[in-house]
Amino acid sequence: MRTLMLVALLACAGTLAGHAPQHSDSNVEAKIPAMEHVWAQAYVSKDPQALERILDDEFVNVDSDGKMQTKADVLAEVRRSSVLQFVTESMSVHLHGNTAIVTGVFLIKGVEHGNPFAERERFVDTWFCKNGQWVSIAGLVTRIGQ
Amino acid sequence: MTTIKLLILVLVWATSVWVSAQEAAGGDVDAAIRALEHQWVEAQSRRDNGALNLIFDNALVYIEYGKLVSKGDYLSKVKAAKPGSSPITMEAMTVRSFGEAATVIGTYRDNSTKSGKSARWRFVDTWVRKTGGWMLVPAAEAPVTK
Repeated sequence: MRTLMLVALLACAGTLAGHAPQHSDSNVEAKIPAMEHVWAQAYVSKDPQALERILDDEFVNVDSDGKMQTKADVLAEVRRSSVLQFVTESMSVHLHGNTAIVTGVFLIKGVEHGNPFAERERFVDTWFCKNGQWVSIAGLVTRIGQ
Repeated sequence: MTTIKLLILVLVWATSVWVSAQEAAGGDVDAAIRALEHQWVEAQSRRDNGALNLIFDNALVYIEYGKLVSKGDYLSKVKAAKPGSSPITMEAMTVRSFGEAATVIGTYRDNSTKSGKSARWRFVDTWVRKTGGWMLVPAAEAPVTK
């Protein structure tokens, strides 16, 4: 009887906990900034290969002009990137179970159509642990002082 | 003893019914998230911080004009706003569900510019399902300039 009661109580407890899963990966707060760094460097190297696995197929981004970008749009943007330097000035990660929110500020410098540019932008990215792999599912970038 | 067994069986049955109901409700994530987005706009127009408090996670980060705004700062701003000072007209939005997380991308118009002219914004929001229901964790927007 006690066993039966315990099973019933555990079933309830499991159900209640089921809507707020906590990710057991204690390294996630180091892993995600590392993947953000890979993402940033892809713009400098113009190599989108690493982004293939970092960005979810349903990834969407809003750029600083308010334009929506799909994963394919971002990969294309990386290939034709004019960024020469990408410095992440600050970054913080907030975990919400299997979802991680990253906010930060970066500075990019480059040359476009022969004209040098430098922009400081604030970003927010959403990461989700999908089938055991962290992937970015959404992002937005906005110019500081816009 | 029979009564206790019966009580346990009822408890297990009730739990399974409750779980099924939650899953059915969770199955329509799209409608639930859209409703929350509209609740947000309506609560803000009424300057109803109590309602906003229920759907904003305590760790909410909001990004506008390149600035990072906390939940407390956002609610203070809503409280200080003049009634109807910046009515929001929601446009299209798309919800993507990832189980315990959902992202929303869409556009809206308001007259929040310094000149009072109507501006169009593209936003990205992420909602995470927690014990108390779906909570907004990051929200960010960029002006549509192109």
